[in-house]
Amino acid sequence: MRQIIHEMWNMRNMIFNFAISDIKIRYKSSVLGIIWSLLEPLLLLGVLFFVFSTLFKFEIPNFPIYLLLGLITWNFFKNSTNFALSSLVNRKSLLTQIYFPKSIPAISACLSASIMLIIELGILGVFMIILGYTPPITILLLPLVFLMMLAMIIGISLPLSVLNVKYRDVEFIWGVVIQAGFFVTPIFYRFDMLPEYIQNIFQFLPTVQLLTMAHHLTLYGTFPSDNTIIYSIFMTLIILGVGYSIFRKLQARIVEEL
Amino acid sequence: MSEISISVHNVSKNFKLFHEKHNTIYESFSGFFNRAKNYETLKALDDVSFDVKRGEMFGIIGKNGGGKTTLLRLLSRIMKPDKGHIHTNGKVIPLLALGLGFHPELTATTNIIQSSVLFGIGKKEITPKIDKIIQFAGLKKFADTKIKNFSAGMQMRLAFATAMQVKPDILVLDEVFAVGDLDFQEKCYDAIMSFKKQGKSIIYVSHNMDAIRTHCDRVLFLNKGKVESIGEANKVTKLYEDFSKSHSGEQVNI
Repeated sequence: MRQIIHEMWNMRNMIFNFAISDIKIRYKSSVLGIIWSLLEPLLLLGVLFFVFSTLFKFEIPNFPIYLLLGLITWNFFKNSTNFALSSLVNRKSLLTQIYFPKSIPAISACLSASIMLIIELGILGVFMIILGYTPPITILLLPLVFLMMLAMIIGISLPLSVLNVKYRDVEFIWGVVIQAGFFVTPIFYRFDMLPEYIQNIFQFLPTVQLLTMAHHLTLYGTFPSDNTIIYSIFMTLIILGVGYSIFRKLQARIVEEL
Repeated sequence: MSEISISVHNVSKNFKLFHEKHNTIYESFSGFFNRAKNYETLKALDDVSFDVKRGEMFGIIGKNGGGKTTLLRLLSRIMKPDKGHIHTNGKVIPLLALGLGFHPELTATTNIIQSSVLFGIGKKEITPKIDKIIQFAGLKKFADTKIKNFSAGMQMRLAFATAMQVKPDILVLDEVFAVGDLDFQEKCYDAIMSFKKQGKSIIYVSHNMDAIRTHCDRVLFLNKGKVESIGEANKVTKLYEDFSKSHSGEQVNI
């Protein structure tokens, strides 16, 4: 852990540079490009809101806020892992021409996704104002949840970026994981709506716990239970540790694999 | 300060040449149960040792597939040797292909910044030098053009100009001047000469024996990953030319 933070600090110039050029390339340096990428979650919000509030009549208080918070959180997970997945493969020519630490592209990808997250949280704020929703004071702790999530996401992104160089079907497998994760995580339903035996299994998913924490802080004005907090911290550390060691092992011969 | 800028000790590097490469997890699993050896080992470099002095221009020659590019990649830390070790004194800047790993979707200016940052030069440090780089490369009109619209020669000019401003201690060049016009080649050789006078070293790979003879102090001749000969430029290039002639019979005439 300390090693990673130290490494990141030394490479901060490169990481920021990559993150900025990532965003430039992805959105072709146009303002409209970023707007398009924000329209996608908003459209999804509209569809899900329509389906679950009018057709299925879910009774979740402040459903639009609940839904948008879930979508933004999930988008953060989806974007950063997807950006990271292709980050090394896309830099094939750079990798064979210049030496640089192989962890930079994946970490920069997570940083680009964090920038998108901040913009999307701004939109959530605008929605709260429009809907006249006053969040509880506990919302000030929300950044801590996202920081923990960022650490976990880096732990997933690092091995994904090198695995995708070695095995090209990782991309498709991860696509399925992301699809499934969207339905398993309580984004458009409340977790306690699920049958109990399913709850007992799904509660071990770290994304479920992280989103539950976000719900507590933003909507209920309560602190998450001690179990949730301890489990989330524990899982984050495990994922970061295991992910980093897989990455360390695979990255040594990655240029030869290209 | 020591007189040696690069020392290479007994370096070997092997590659696995797969008959059918496993590129997916599925294939790796099925390959796991079918344990027939499906690759050959290629000795790209076999027990190579040499030293490069400060202020020296060191040429590397040899046929295609002789291990030249692999050696340059090892020198610039892009790959690690399987055996032996390499010690370099100072910052190594490699120009191994067109461009310094330039990104086609970014402009010339942005690419200069990106490459410099990767070489450990901060954005603040390089920004005042951008005009100078663009001017040296003769690309004044194209500073904000994306690299994908550049010709091969333009990319090479930009890469060389950037590399010189990053202030390397060791410059590694892989047949880069082939795409430049004569005027620019002259300019590059002038820059390299003044660079040499500052006590910095250049590793130069080329198939142009005249260029090697005129510019290099010493030359290494690599044949199938082994050091065939190493020494004074005229002698080694002569040996290589004789070697090529005597082995041309092996090639099939088309």
